[in-house]
Amino acid sequence: MGKRVAIIGVGNSRFGKRDDVSIQELAWESIKEALNDSGLSQKDIGLVVVGSTAYRGVELYPAPIVAEYSGLTGKVPLRVEAMCATGLAAALTAYTAVSSGLVDVAMAIGVDKMTEVDTSTSLAIGGRGGNYQWEYHFYGTTFPTYYALYATRHMAVYGTTEEQMALVAVKAHKYGSMNPKAHFQKPVTVEEVLKSRVISWPIKLLDSCPISDGSATAIFASEEKVKELKIENPVWITGVGYANDYAYVAKRGEWTGFKATQLAAKQAYEMAKITPNDVEVATVHDAFTIAEIMGYEDLGFTEKGKGGKFIEEGQSERGGKVGVNLFGGLKAKGHPLGATGLSMIYEITKQLRDEAGNLQHPLKKYIGLVHNVGGTGHFAYVMILRR
Amino acid sequence: MQVDAIPLALRYKIQYPDEFINAIKRGEILATKCKNCGATYFPPQRDCYNCGKNEMDWVKIDNEGELMTYSIVFQKPQGFENYDNYVIGIVKTKDNISLMVWIKGEPKVGTKVRLTTDGIRLIGEVIK
Ligand SMILES: [Zn+2]
Repeated sequence: MGKRVAIIGVGNSRFGKRDDVSIQELAWESIKEALNDSGLSQKDIGLVVVGSTAYRGVELYPAPIVAEYSGLTGKVPLRVEAMCATGLAAALTAYTAVSSGLVDVAMAIGVDKMTEVDTSTSLAIGGRGGNYQWEYHFYGTTFPTYYALYATRHMAVYGTTEEQMALVAVKAHKYGSMNPKAHFQKPVTVEEVLKSRVISWPIKLLDSCPISDGSATAIFASEEKVKELKIENPVWITGVGYANDYAYVAKRGEWTGFKATQLAAKQAYEMAKITPNDVEVATVHDAFTIAEIMGYEDLGFTEKGKGGKFIEEGQSERGGKVGVNLFGGLKAKGHPLGATGLSMIYEITKQLRDEAGNLQHPLKKYIGLVHNVGGTGHFAYVMILRR
Repeated sequence: MQVDAIPLALRYKIQYPDEFINAIKRGEILATKCKNCGATYFPPQRDCYNCGKNEMDWVKIDNEGELMTYSIVFQKPQGFENYDNYVIGIVKTKDNISLMVWIKGEPKVGTKVRLTTDGIRLIGEVIK
């Protein structure tokens, strides 16, 4: 086991269609906020990891550009990529550098500018988020199709309904409309979700997260550094978990949950010495509404097959058993791939510090969880955070 | 000010095993099976990660299976714009091999399907 690691600064840009800025300007919005939040400056950072999928923007190699623009040249030797879990993969890399004792302070920047290409190109890139040679090439998969395969099976095996899935969107948009940094600012109704255009049945437009631009940054420090800097509100990372699964989706054997999430969660809970019942507030990877329902089950917030009931009963609302995605989730806050995982860390850090304003979840144990899925269950990362 | 950036046109060439593509043209579906340890691979692999050897036999996949799940693609990606809505399914055979296919007929989870090809890709025909 490595050294204890704390999060000492977080930043999050406004998410949305951000054609007002370049990728480096977008990254700087969250870098500046995280530096200010921690009270540190660039010279205090020992290692910087840039998480970016980059495929949808003109800058295919954004790390050096982001580093230069932000005064971090010399500190950024790598970019990390794990599809939609790129943000938490970058966070794990920075965490590891501190935990191992390589550096005292590390920064993870997640940034993607996804709206620089047209939607059709974006869809074609997303559709290759599986195994191009044996899937897309012959069958024309889209990213929503992969999640739809899970939704159809979940519906058939557990009786999960399209209405229950719609409730996830309704919850996300409700909280998104209360978060000025969210991509979507308007509530939606169950009826609007059900009547929205079918993308890949049973997934409809309003079951899907938007294509967003955004950045988020977190700064990680060792316990010695936390003491030395007299950080008043450190948030400790007490558990980490990671796993992956087959690229060729048919090979996975079952399609009602993500084995990668189940493995990552088990690892993180064991390291943190907690059970799912201890988690009070969480971000669950909700790229599509079915993903959040499976997330409740895979993370152990409810029994297998009961995810639909869990949302129906309001257990994942603010003030419920586990407050889930209270900043709007991927579904309404937005999903700029590289930024998403770090934006989740931003959100849970704010919650654990009681700084979430009108989105604050009532906490007793001050235990939070972040969960970021890459691809369609290809990667999963879980982190347990405590104040 | 927004300007048009220089487009990036990516043109690819990729490789498939002749045996696999020729079998699809005949209406057959092939997997590979390790001569040494018997591990079966779909997608087919030249190399066996189970025992580390690389001598494989091409074997026919059982042509009957169960439809495990499916999705109907309404919004089609590049290269598939000219197709009518199609149904992507996952079919599990009696030998416990699962494949991605296009489904022909009325899809329903749990229904029996006959595995074949349309000369280009794998097809699962719903058995009435
Ligand atoms: Zn072998």
